Amino acid sequence: MSQVIPMPVDRADRAARVEARREIAAADPPTGVAGWDVDDWGRDASFVGVASFLTHLRWSTTVGGQERLPARGAAVVVINSRRFGLTPWFVALVLSGETGRPVRFVGRPDTAPAGAVARRLGGLLARPDEVASALRDGEMLVVGASGTMDPRAVGTVDHRLIGPAVERRVPVFPAAVAVAQLARRANIEIAPAVKPPRRRRGPLGELELADAVRIRIGQMLQEFGAPAPAPRSIGYR
Amino acid sequence: MGGDLGSRVAALLEHEDWVGDLLGIDADPPRRRLQRAAFHLASAGDHDRIVALVTDFDPHVVVHLSVWEPFSRAAPAQARTFTDQAATSFLGAVAECRSLESIVVRSGLEVYGRARGAPTRPDESAAVAPTSEFGRMLAEIELTAADLGRRIGVPVAAVRIGSVLGPHVPSPLGRLLRMPIVPFSALADPPFAVVEDTEAARGFVAAAARRLDQPVNVLASGAITALQAIRRGSRVPFPLFGPDWRIARMVSELSGAPIPDHVLETLHRGRLADNGRMQELLGFAAVSTTTEVIDKLYAWPSVVRIPARQQVA
Repeated sequence: MSQVIPMPVDRADRAARVEARREIAAADPPTGVAGWDVDDWGRDASFVGVASFLTHLRWSTTVGGQERLPARGAAVVVINSRRFGLTPWFVALVLSGETGRPVRFVGRPDTAPAGAVARRLGGLLARPDEVASALRDGEMLVVGASGTMDPRAVGTVDHRLIGPAVERRVPVFPAAVAVAQLARRANIEIAPAVKPPRRRRGPLGELELADAVRIRIGQMLQEFGAPAPAPRSIGYR
Repeated sequence: MGGDLGSRVAALLEHEDWVGDLLGIDADPPRRRLQRAAFHLASAGDHDRIVALVTDFDPHVVVHLSVWEPFSRAAPAQARTFTDQAATSFLGAVAECRSLESIVVRSGLEVYGRARGAPTRPDESAAVAPTSEFGRMLAEIELTAADLGRRIGVPVAAVRIGSVLGPHVPSPLGRLLRMPIVPFSALADPPFAVVEDTEAARGFVAAAARRLDQPVNVLASGAITALQAIRRGSRVPFPLFGPDWRIARMVSELSGAPIPDHVLETLHRGRLADNGRMQELLGFAAVSTTTEVIDKLYAWPSVVRIPARQQVA
């Protein structure tokens, strides 16, 4: 009789079996499309891997001075960037591969879908508190100077984004980036960390450091074969 | 004490050396067996009774957990009313207690809001700028408690917890993720973090024990996206792009898993926070990760309904 009429106990058993199957599925780590993982900031290592591969297909990148970057702990790499060039994205991807640790870039948009993609690649908002929080977590960040149309010129380095590094005495590395738009060649040269010219109690220290970093990047670009950027007077923005 | 979180906190407090008498007040009876705690049934709006009970007890520490999350156990309007009434009754009553040494209130990551350009992982120093109804409710409680603490000179701790998930917790997010077909934002699919009910309860107890005088974020480490959670639970993901969310909300509500605006915000804009100060402020760090809590969410058994053998009515 019980084979013809589903008894309540049978129904309960069936529900329990369904639950057990779900339990097994949950205990078994998913693979493929569900196998990725995002970290505390939403960076997706699998997605970064795919993007790095595509970047590698497009550009043959030479990196110099990467041994200067710390293997662990917080660090800030300041680069020159080209307008609409997504240079910080590119540098973060390349340095992730070179250093073997997650490298994030500062300056992601906060609108979908570009913001979502940038977050998966390790993008942070260009906010001093966001930079401070990431540095507290020991992250390595790439901060771009303001974008320029001239690939050999250096834009303004936002001292507010450098401020958290000065406060926490995190090393700030200037890096010159030259990316060919049509050819496959790309160069990233990382200089030794720049220290603030003098110790300041207030925000003048970060402003001076931002200026020193900008000048150093300009010198490196000059070594690449570009004219030196015009010196900028120190002043608050 | 009538909610699952309240019962868990009470059970943990019973095992604390520094806790003497324990009094709980709620509109529902406790969800677990309590040994030492005295419990009184009183609705949130019963000001006179609550004031009488609290002032007679004259507590040293008050843990205020009377917060109704929209669509967890009550519709948003009711949740708002109950939460306001409870805050008025309890926080008003504790102001009259001479022995009071500390107030701990339940808050949430929703107080930070998810406006465009808001910090991705706000820490405790981030501005309170809620962008959802639940966030505004929590922010008001925090503000009221902080004002009260300043007036009567007692420390106030706001424990800002992530979305609480647990085997018996009526969480709208948990309910939605356990649906057979789960909608997610195809264009954004942002990451969010959650907390297991046991860890959230530990946070309240630690804040009370330490007489904490500032907000603290309590959530599991790591993050997960909705699509990732859906796939981990072997559910069917249903991508949505924008206007179709309105239809999805209606369908979900009819299916028994209404989506409140703060959960919708989580699915669209994500909800992360920096839990790096838990160790320093509470004495313990997050043990489980968000992914583990989500895995447990799918492992917890469902309610198995066994119909009566014979219908009598």
